[in-house]
Amino acid sequence: MPITYQAVKSLSAQLYDWSLRAVPADTLDGLARALATETHDGARKVLQMMLGSARKAEAEQRYVCSDAGVPVYHVTIGTAARLEGDIKAAISDGFDELVATISPPLLKHVTNPLTNERGYKGRDMPLVTWDVAGGADWVEILCQPKALGSGRWAALETFSFPSLAEIEAYVMKVVMQAGSQHCPPVIIGVGIGGSFDVAARIASKATMRAIGTTNPEPVLAAMEERLLRAVNATGFGPMGTGGDTTALAVHVDYASGHGYTPVAVCFNCWINRRTRARLHADGSVERFE
Amino acid sequence: MSDAFRTLRMPMSREDARSLRAGDMVLLEGEIVITAGLPTIQRLVACAEEGRDPPIALAGGSLFHLGSYSQEMPAGGLEILYMNPTTSTRFNPLMPRLIRHFGLTAVGGKGGLDTACAAAMREVGCVYLSFLGGGAPLHSAAIRAVREVAYPDLVAHYRLVRLAVEGLGPVTVGIDAHGNSLFETLQAQARDRMEGILATLAASRQDAKGG
Repeated sequence: MPITYQAVKSLSAQLYDWSLRAVPADTLDGLARALATETHDGARKVLQMMLGSARKAEAEQRYVCSDAGVPVYHVTIGTAARLEGDIKAAISDGFDELVATISPPLLKHVTNPLTNERGYKGRDMPLVTWDVAGGADWVEILCQPKALGSGRWAALETFSFPSLAEIEAYVMKVVMQAGSQHCPPVIIGVGIGGSFDVAARIASKATMRAIGTTNPEPVLAAMEERLLRAVNATGFGPMGTGGDTTALAVHVDYASGHGYTPVAVCFNCWINRRTRARLHADGSVERFE
Repeated sequence: MSDAFRTLRMPMSREDARSLRAGDMVLLEGEIVITAGLPTIQRLVACAEEGRDPPIALAGGSLFHLGSYSQEMPAGGLEILYMNPTTSTRFNPLMPRLIRHFGLTAVGGKGGLDTACAAAMREVGCVYLSFLGGGAPLHSAAIRAVREVAYPDLVAHYRLVRLAVEGLGPVTVGIDAHGNSLFETLQAQARDRMEGILATLAASRQDAKGG
């Protein structure tokens, strides 16, 4: 059976709603592991409060953060999926319906960048990236709402034939710029190479990988491990008030490019909002996160 | 660390503010004033510049960078559905004026304020309190009553709101009234450590090559 406008609309709305009321399991595990090794008393208390806030949000179906951010979706369409209706409009309509029906209501965060006026609607909102999966008969939607902590501190710089040392020094420079301000412990995504937009997208995608998973490429796995240790050696700590836990994970990926090499670094704040599900050809919905 | 935190009465007295040290964790009880809006802070600066009273009294009080969803209840009165901090650093250029003019005893939010703010805070005897980001379920549960909401023409989280709270926190004293700022100390400490951090990264890269 086809994957319909209605199914995409409903799922888009649900994914956003779910993302606001719980912290993903991999992130809770990461926070618990950090609590077990954190040596700073104040930082331990802050980590405990984070876990408490996440538990209370899920148990009582409250928002973890009052800033619901803006809706960001990543949609992957299988080339063998049969679609019925305007799938693009379905995502936008799903968000509109959510805004109209969700309880408690969302704050207005969609901002016109030319006037700073805020509302629920705006040009190109929701922000959607589209991808295709060869041969698949499903549609996958990932929702990752973005707000200050998870968006504001991202940066990109383009280098010419950089060494790994230069790339890693740049990651640390961006970490220093963010300092205490992005609701640490964060998940850091690093995208190397490709082009300007590709590097940014790789970095963004890297934040979506589950915490605790190992990069299949040994060179990148080693880089991730040493960068995580480096970031945590800065001492900014949970909520940036000091401690051993500034990041829960650093995830790195790359694309080949020309030799001018963009390096993109982005963050997701500790609540790491992200939900993902697949619509299958048999009408079932498979939820991953 | 003991979980028995000192509870401070709000609005905070100047004496209490001066008694705190950066890194202390405390609970708050009493009345606080909050907003997450840059236009709101700009309006309050205009009040200070023009010698007008703000719509909610701020003199000797607290002003936190917390955003909330407030609404009128069907049976009358106001309620707050949820509340959480926003990043304070974007208010850096405006806060010294407010801290000095209104003689604030406590400001706060998340992410800290800069050196110029810390200097103003030291002058008047004011602390910066760091709230848990992503703490809406905890912070909202501490609200006891909504006293006043001003600037209703602004979006909900920009409005200036006076609230009664109990057991709000614990919050971390990020900047004390004696010029000590965790944010500055940590930034300086990370800068000092960076040479060693980069050397460790280089050694790890060398090991990876050798292995």
